[in-house]
Amino acid sequence: MAYLEMIDIVKRYSGVLANDHVDLAVERGEIHAVMGENGAGKSTLMSILYGLQSPDQGYLRFKGSTLLLQSPLDAIAHGIGMVRQAFRLFESLSVWENIVYRREPRRGIFVDGARARAQVQELARRHGLPIDPMARVAHLPVGVRQRLEILKALYREAQVLILDEPTAVLTPAEVATLFTVMKSLAASGCTILLVTHKLNEVMAVSDRITVLRNGRVAERLVTAETNPNAIVRAMTGHPVTLQTSKPREPGTVKLEARGLTVEQHGRRVVDDVSLTVRGGEIVGIAGVAGNGQSELIEALMGLTVVAQGSVYLQGRNVTHDSVAAHRASGLSYIAEDRARTASAAAASATDNLAMGFHCQPPLAHRGLLQQKAMRKWARGLIEQFDIKIASVDTAVGTLSGGNLQKIVTARELAHNAPVLIAEQPTRGVDVGAISFIHGELLRERERGHAILLVSAELSEILALADRILVMYEGRIVAEFARADADEATLGLYMAGGTRS
Amino acid sequence: MRIAAGVRSHLSRRVAPLLPIVGAVAVGFGVCGLIALWVGLSPSLMFRQLLQGAVEGPQLFETVARAVPLVGMTLAAAIPLRAGIVNLGADGQLALGGCAAAIVALYFPAPDLVRLGMALAAAMVVGACYAALAAAGEILAGVPLLLSTWLLTYPAKGLCGYLVRTPLRDPSTAWPSTARIAVGARLGHLIPGTPVNQGFLLIALVAIAVIFLDRHSSMGFELRLRGLNERFARYGGVALNRQTLGVMIASGAIAGLVGAIMVLGSQFRYTDGALTAPQYSWSGTLAALLAGGEPVGSVIAAVLFAALQTGGFAMERSVEIPRVLTMVLQSVIILFLAMRGAIWKRA
Repeated sequence: MAYLEMIDIVKRYSGVLANDHVDLAVERGEIHAVMGENGAGKSTLMSILYGLQSPDQGYLRFKGSTLLLQSPLDAIAHGIGMVRQAFRLFESLSVWENIVYRREPRRGIFVDGARARAQVQELARRHGLPIDPMARVAHLPVGVRQRLEILKALYREAQVLILDEPTAVLTPAEVATLFTVMKSLAASGCTILLVTHKLNEVMAVSDRITVLRNGRVAERLVTAETNPNAIVRAMTGHPVTLQTSKPREPGTVKLEARGLTVEQHGRRVVDDVSLTVRGGEIVGIAGVAGNGQSELIEALMGLTVVAQGSVYLQGRNVTHDSVAAHRASGLSYIAEDRARTASAAAASATDNLAMGFHCQPPLAHRGLLQQKAMRKWARGLIEQFDIKIASVDTAVGTLSGGNLQKIVTARELAHNAPVLIAEQPTRGVDVGAISFIHGELLRERERGHAILLVSAELSEILALADRILVMYEGRIVAEFARADADEATLGLYMAGGTRS
Repeated sequence: MRIAAGVRSHLSRRVAPLLPIVGAVAVGFGVCGLIALWVGLSPSLMFRQLLQGAVEGPQLFETVARAVPLVGMTLAAAIPLRAGIVNLGADGQLALGGCAAAIVALYFPAPDLVRLGMALAAAMVVGACYAALAAAGEILAGVPLLLSTWLLTYPAKGLCGYLVRTPLRDPSTAWPSTARIAVGARLGHLIPGTPVNQGFLLIALVAIAVIFLDRHSSMGFELRLRGLNERFARYGGVALNRQTLGVMIASGAIAGLVGAIMVLGSQFRYTDGALTAPQYSWSGTLAALLAGGEPVGSVIAAVLFAALQTGGFAMERSVEIPRVLTMVLQSVIILFLAMRGAIWKRA
């Protein structure tokens, strides 16, 4: 009998089978990867294990006895901890306060701060997770916050640790540190469930893999005996060829920024950035999220006030123009946040796909919408981009991440604009959609369009970009031709280092 | 088969969003029935009186007459609301519009019919400009519209009150009001012997135009999508500032027109406070909220409110049930509708 078992788990959400008789068995001290595309049922399975959801059918066994979880508090009491993608921390409190919260060592009715800090220090030392107990969470970098989340779980004596997409926000160096920590935790008897869709990570750190597809277990693999292609095949049900670009002679400069500076609360979040993107070229901006990329793109797009410097679109100065004017000058934009910015969840696919086309023929004539043409337009794009949606009238808020991203991509590419800004174009979408979107971006390049690609995924930048800029604390700190770039060097610059 | 299914899905798409509204209205009536029972009144008598007072015989025309300004003020609230903007200054725009209409109708040297047209136009222009002032405040200086529209109501009402108390005062009446407008410059009766005047046609025209533009124009599309997600509208290239200005101009113009219709069609003079006393802007805002700014629903809600209010008056007169109950009814409906979001989400 395995250490931790999930047996015959069924979970249905309003008619959709999220988990369809799933069995999962994990041994003590194992690093077990749970893989699958978006909507495969990973999150549901893990939220059942953490007591956030109760299964419609099936049960859990832990250390040989049946486990009934009403809430995460039960799970924690039984030694199951989870580090979620969005951290659950009190930003204004210190590290030790976050760790001991709800389990404070007390002296009378007061929290015994000295003892708590000592306990935290001892815990950090024992697990090789150095941290300053007095530091304010708000001042900590993301990697340290994650370490804090892990410590929080360990303080609650977690024997099983669920890590949900833990590397999404980390630099390569931080990822390496995390993997070391995971391995040492596993060696000391802690069991780790790693939820991810990244092949290289699974290959690097896991012992065994359970692959989910459409709510069922598609395959159980032993990492040492498998390879990335086999995993992709298990995830998608068919082999996927990952796209890479071939070099091409770039054309004229289509997008240019000169000394661009954006200030927020007196801080220069974009600091003297100059860059050019030529026709037929993909320029990638690498960097850990939050180093000024979003603000740079907003400045290029006319969505924010530019303090200094200027933006040229096909030779025209558009620095202080509106978004509408930018778009009219031939700029198209796949925004980072598809749900909050790049779509209206309650609006139909027809409306979402018509945005930006709703003033000119064929979708509008003399200021009046042509409903038939709008629906035909939507149907065309849905077919072309293979978007899975019930009808053109369906609200896009009901779509999966990948399909919503395809809606956004389809609309922005339909502009056939000479300049495209693609910001995190594949974040959180499944392998099939990634491959499709990458293919579309490369096709844009073949058409001679200029593409500025912002991504926190180095693999994406390395696969697509012709030139790579690294952004750190609002500045461009390095520039490489793709041939000269590798993950280690980029990672070094992304973390604020310089080559000595 | 396929056609039947298509019709069904079409129907359910059109009907489904209305269900919570119908539910809220039903609950509202239920609550008022219980209140009636509690104070020892017969709910069936109350509702019968309410219904008869709203639609029976000549009362129907009372309801229509009341619906004209109420639908107008509802549209003035609904247009901005469609884009997620709240215009709380409709009372000021209404007063200024009515006052402007009275001044032009009294003093503009032109033939009667021209004077009438000029009075209506002046009311719309003044209402629009005053609303545009609030919009400009937000666009140029970042003063929130919610605040500026509301606060600008007081100077508007104050100015009109001053005008009719001092320079324009008709000394022959006890009220602070202008002189009576000549018959030729008034909006005549639409149906003789009833209080329904030609303003009905003007408001019907406005309502049809608003509904048509909302459904079929690119402008309406931009407005609706901004209401659903303002970030998306901005990202998609909608010129938000220009839209804010346009929306406020349309809203203010309609409020001004309602003021003109009340002055030229039924009161025949501008009396201080007389336009805002029935609180049409307030009922209009509630009706627009009830329909989430969607114009057809807003008009239906406005007519329903007008019927409730005339019915309430009649009920109070005939069986001495206080008409405050109809206000309770309106409030309960709105409160239950506001609850629906949470209930629906949980389900």
